[in-house]
Amino acid sequence: MTGRVLRALAITLIVVWSLAPIAIGLVTSFSTQRDVQAVPARWLPEQPTLDAYRSLLGGTSSQRAGGTVAESGTYSKALLNSTIVTLLSTLAVLAVAVSGAYGFSRLEFPGRRTLFWAISALIIIPVFMVVIALFRLMADAHLIDHKLGLVLVFAATQTPLALLLMRNYIAELPLEPEEAALIDGCTRWQAFWRVVVPQMSSGIAALAAIVMLAVWGEFLIPLLLTSTLNSKTVTVVIPEFVGKYTTNYPLLAAAGVLAVLPPAIVALVLNRHIRGMLHGSS
Amino acid sequence: MVAPAVALTAALVVYPLAKGFKSSLESGEATYGASPKFVGLDNYREVLKTSTAVDAIGHTLIYVALAVTLELVLGMIVAVTLNRVFRGRGIVLAILILPWALPSVVSGVLWRRVFDPDSGLLNSVLLQLHVIDHPHVWMATKGTALAFITIVHVWGVLPLVSLVLIAGLQSIPEEVYSASAVDGANPVRQFRHITLPLLRPAIAVALTIGTVWGIAIFDEIYVLNGTALNTRSVLMEVYNTTFVDADFAHGTALAFMLTVVTALFAIGYTLGFRRETT
Repeated sequence: MTGRVLRALAITLIVVWSLAPIAIGLVTSFSTQRDVQAVPARWLPEQPTLDAYRSLLGGTSSQRAGGTVAESGTYSKALLNSTIVTLLSTLAVLAVAVSGAYGFSRLEFPGRRTLFWAISALIIIPVFMVVIALFRLMADAHLIDHKLGLVLVFAATQTPLALLLMRNYIAELPLEPEEAALIDGCTRWQAFWRVVVPQMSSGIAALAAIVMLAVWGEFLIPLLLTSTLNSKTVTVVIPEFVGKYTTNYPLLAAAGVLAVLPPAIVALVLNRHIRGMLHGSS
Repeated sequence: MVAPAVALTAALVVYPLAKGFKSSLESGEATYGASPKFVGLDNYREVLKTSTAVDAIGHTLIYVALAVTLELVLGMIVAVTLNRVFRGRGIVLAILILPWALPSVVSGVLWRRVFDPDSGLLNSVLLQLHVIDHPHVWMATKGTALAFITIVHVWGVLPLVSLVLIAGLQSIPEEVYSASAVDGANPVRQFRHITLPLLRPAIAVALTIGTVWGIAIFDEIYVLNGTALNTRSVLMEVYNTTFVDADFAHGTALAFMLTVVTALFAIGYTLGFRRETT
């Protein structure tokens, strides 16, 4: 009996711990500056309002949002940049890693094992090291402040882990269906596209989710490789807002909430696949 | 089929690393036109002598030690709690993942209102409970600043550590437990003598994730306290040296040392926690 109560308590604590900061952010984003400055703290706004979102997306010219002037369009442009860069990077990683993992697991060629482990070993090189080393090359190639530059760097830094995850996943797939297809006269590519890829839908969904979350949330790479709204992502713009609108918590919370929505949706919708992939790899 | 993966990683990971390593061995003063001079490991020695780097190393050690301990202990509690089947488990697991899915920059922003010195929620609660008698500027005091930044960091990493440990628990067959229960082992003994030894590979993965992410702590500090000296991590020192002070040679040298330390930890855990074959 006490065991059951303890477990129920632990489960409740886990849920509260995981959701509390998100809940505080949501409530703050519907508050006014007066609400968040109240002492002692006012946990719920007196009059819920969308003002913070309006000034975040539309810009403010008045004192409404606490005397700060947000430029209209900055945040929506950053959201758009994040979306484009995340989608393109994810597609690139999927294309490279899924076909690459298949090649490494099913094709025979000299140096196959060595090459595979060489790429996998790159996982232990932290992302920051790669970006710092890349910075000058990207500058020389005029790829600073380009969405394409970001996509290239994300694709390269995400590929080693993606390749390893996918190869482990493919290793568990049955060989018979594609062998049958090859005997029936399919080429490697046809067998891969028509037989193997459909079998991998869950693994591909998990990999897409993992890459999307990593790219969307990455801060240091875009911090170093972007300089204007041409390519700045939400993770770069939010800390700038923190510097500019330091205590305008409603505005900052609204920015946070909008930046959280896409990854939260991805995580909730694909959480089964993500957990499945983690099970396979540990 | 493997060519794109090989080309991409060779061109954008291996090649820049080699170039970066070369420039970490050369004098940094060279301006455009002048060719840099080979100085061996001088940059490495010099950067380790700067006081900000020494402080940053100290902070990072504290971050990593605190974060890894919290993640392992809490992660184990979460894993044991959520390992067994109960109604609503799927929903709880989905909620558990959420903090990991959020950009760490955003978790920093979400927590900022909690730690605000004037109207922060933490100050307000502690004042009302009479734990403190005046509002504290949490990020100005080194001890509380490091502790709270670690908590925000752990909030984001704990989900992944927990999931890895849950996966490890589920790989232990039920029969092992029922057999030992017949032999009269109580749950505590079972945890010590069955669960922990069989969980070694999962613990190695969890330790690696915790340490690697802890060593690279940056985003949460940047949002909660900027590049302030009292909370600066090594990666932040690398960033400052390389891009704010534009001292590429010393910054890259420090980054390489951080990378080597990270790799040593990852390899050490993997070898040290291999499943003992009995």
